[in-house]
Amino acid sequence: MPDTAGQPPEAQGRITRRELLKKAGAGAIGLGVAGSAAPFSFAGPLRYQGRWLKGDLSIIQWVHFVPAYDDWFDNTWVKQWGQANDVQVKVEHINNTLLDTRAAAEVAAQSGHDLFFNLHPMASYEDQVINHASIIHEVERKVGKYGALAKSSTFNPKTNKYFAVSDNYVPDPVIWRHDLWNGIGESPATWDHVAKAAPKLKASGHPIGIGQSQELDSNMALIAFLMCFGGFIQDEENRPTLYTKSTVDAVKFMANLFKTGEDSGIFGWNPASNNNYLYSGTGSMILNAISATRTPEAQHLPFSDNLWIWPIPAGPHGRIGLEHVMGCYSIWKFAQNKENAERFLADMCIHGKDATIASQLYNFPSFPGAFPFQDIRKAAAADTHKPSGKYSILTTIAEKYTHNIGYPGTTNAAIDEIFSKYLIPQMFAQVSQGKLSAQDSVRDTMSVAKGIYAKWRKRGKI
Amino acid sequence: MTSGWRHRGFSYVIVVPFSVLLAFPFFWMAVTSFKPEAQVYDPTKVWSFHPTLANYGFLFHHTGYLRWLRNSSFVGVVVVLITLVVAVPAGYALARLSGRVGRTMGVAIFLTYLVPPTLLFLPLSRVIAKLGLDDRLWALILVYPSFTVPFAIWLLMGFFKAVPQELEDAALMDGCSRLGALVRIVLPVSLPGLITVVIFTFSLVINEFVYAITFISSSTNRTVTVGVPTDLIRGDLFNWPGIMAAILLPSIPLALVYNAFLNRFITGFTGGAFR
Repeated sequence: MPDTAGQPPEAQGRITRRELLKKAGAGAIGLGVAGSAAPFSFAGPLRYQGRWLKGDLSIIQWVHFVPAYDDWFDNTWVKQWGQANDVQVKVEHINNTLLDTRAAAEVAAQSGHDLFFNLHPMASYEDQVINHASIIHEVERKVGKYGALAKSSTFNPKTNKYFAVSDNYVPDPVIWRHDLWNGIGESPATWDHVAKAAPKLKASGHPIGIGQSQELDSNMALIAFLMCFGGFIQDEENRPTLYTKSTVDAVKFMANLFKTGEDSGIFGWNPASNNNYLYSGTGSMILNAISATRTPEAQHLPFSDNLWIWPIPAGPHGRIGLEHVMGCYSIWKFAQNKENAERFLADMCIHGKDATIASQLYNFPSFPGAFPFQDIRKAAAADTHKPSGKYSILTTIAEKYTHNIGYPGTTNAAIDEIFSKYLIPQMFAQVSQGKLSAQDSVRDTMSVAKGIYAKWRKRGKI
Repeated sequence: MTSGWRHRGFSYVIVVPFSVLLAFPFFWMAVTSFKPEAQVYDPTKVWSFHPTLANYGFLFHHTGYLRWLRNSSFVGVVVVLITLVVAVPAGYALARLSGRVGRTMGVAIFLTYLVPPTLLFLPLSRVIAKLGLDDRLWALILVYPSFTVPFAIWLLMGFFKAVPQELEDAALMDGCSRLGALVRIVLPVSLPGLITVVIFTFSLVINEFVYAITFISSSTNRTVTVGVPTDLIRGDLFNWPGIMAAILLPSIPLALVYNAFLNRFITGFTGGAFR
C-alpha cells in the first residue's frame, strides 16, 4: 500500500475544501446559467400557438381543500371556457392564508390579477373594486335570485354597491366522534350537553377541540358560538353591540369549557389543528368543514365511519351558525381585462352545480337556483360513506343555520377589520388564560370595535 | 490524564444533548418523509411503519419541485454575485473611512437591514409593478439585495477593519494601486469573511418568503419557499410527509456546504472580534 501520509489531499484522492468550493461554485453558476436559459424562468406559460385571441384573463385563487376541485377548475372548466370565449386564461393558486397579503400587495401596486378570489368578503377594499351589480343581475336572470347569505356578505346597503360576487359558500358543521360520545351516553345537541360531556371526554383522553387562536377556524367557531348565546358583534343596523350580558356569559362558558374539557393546544391553534386533532384519534369534537371527514375517508382511518356531522349545538339563543368560508371573487378597478373577468364570473356562477359536484359537496352555490337544495340533498344521499346519508344534513345546515359574518347586520368593512384582526378569539383567549375577567375582556374588545366602526363610518362605508 | 478525561467528559455532557436537540428535527423530518400519509396521524405507528418512497415520487412527479429548486438556486446565485459586487467595495470603503462619518454610515446601512419585509413589501409592490417585473424572478433578484447587501457590508466592514493597514501600505509603496491592493492583498486575507457572506446570503435568499409570495404567483416561477406551502398544503390539510421530504432535500446539500466551510465560516464571524 503506497504511503500517502505526506502528500497533499488531492494526491490522496480526497477533495480539499478549496476544491469543493470551486466545484460547488462552478455547479451553482452552471445551474444559474441553465436556469436563465430556460424560457419559462422568466415568462408565463406559452400562449396558444398560431391563434389570435380576443383577450386575456388572469385569476388568482386559493388551493382548494378538495384537490379534485382544482383539477376540474384548471383542466376542465377554465379550458372549456377559454376556448369557447377565445380568451387566454391564466389561473394561479396560492395558499388561503396568503390571500390577504397578496390582495394588499396588489392594491398597493395598483396592479394585479383580473379576478381576485378570497375566502371572506373583502369589504374594506370597496373603493378598490368595481360595482359587481351587473354580474349579479345577469346571473339572476339565468338561475334565479342571489342567495340571502351571499347578498348580506357582499352588498353594502350604505353605498348601494356589490363589492364582490360570491360564487360559493361552505357550511360549517360540528364533526364529532360518535363512538366516543356514545361511550359516555352523550351527544353534542346543545352547548350544555357539550359542557356536560367535556370533562368525561377529556378524562378518557379525548378532549374537545375549539381553537382560541388568531386564525380562521377559531374566528368562525367562536363568533358562531357567541351568536348561539345571543352575543352579536353588531345589530341589524350595523351598530356595534358586543358589550352585553349574553357576550359575557358566552365568554365565561367557553373559559369553563376550556378548563374542564380542552387542553392548552387551542391557544396555538392553526388551520391544520382541527384536522390533526381529529386524525390523530385524540379529538372528540371540532367545528370544521367537511374536509375534516373527507380525508379520513380517503385514507381509511380506523374511526372514519364514526365521524358524524351535525349542525352547531344549540345555545340559550338558539342554533346560529356561520359559513365556514365565503368564496368571493372581486374585480379590481385597475384590472386590465374587466370584461373578460365579468363574463367569466357570470358563467362560473351560472354553472354553480358543476362546481359543487367537483368539490364533492364542499362548495354550496351562492345562487341557490344554480343547484337547488333538493338536488344537492339527492347528491349527498348518494354518497356511500358511513354512516349512511351523513352528508345529507349539510343542506339543512346550509338552509337553516348558516349566516354571514356580522349577522344580523351585513358583512361590512368594520366586520372585515374585526375579523382580520382576530379580536373575537383574542377576547375569548384572554379570559380562558386567566389574563382578564370576562367583563373586562368584552368591554376592552367593544372599545376597540367602536373605534373601528367610527373609522369606517367616517369614511362613509357604514 | 484524569484532568483531560474530565475536560473531555464535561464537553460531551454539554455537546451530546445539544447535538441531539438540534439534530432531532432533521431526524424527525427524515422519518416522516418515509411514512405513508395515513400513518402520519396514527399514534401507534410513530416508529413501526412501512417505509415508502411514494412521498418523494409525489414531489418529483406531481409537483413542480425541481423547477422550484432551480428557481431558488438561480435567484440565490445571482443575488450572491450582486451582493459581493456591491458589498465588497462598500465594506472596504467604510472600513477605511476613519472617524465618525464611517461609523455613522456603517450603522445607518446596517439599520436598513432591520426594516422588516412585512412592511417593505407594500411600497416595493408598486416599484415592481412600475418596472413590469410582476411574476418574474427578476423581481426577487432586484429586491433581495435590499437586505443581503446591508448585512454583507456590515460583516465585511468588520473584517476589512481587522486587516492591518500596514499590509496595504506596503503594497501601495510597491506600486500597487488602491484597487490592486484590495484585490491582491485584502481579499485573499479576507477569504473567510467572503465565504461567510456567500453562505449567509445564499441561505437568506433560499429561506425568504414574504417577497417571494408577494411578487411571484405563477407556478412556473415559484421558489421552494412558496411552492411547498402552496402545493403541499391544501387549506387545513397538510401533506406532512411531502412537506418533510421537500424540506429535507435542500437542507442536505446546505448542511454539507456549511460543514465543508465550517472553520472559515466561524473565522468569518469571529475574525473581527479576535484579531
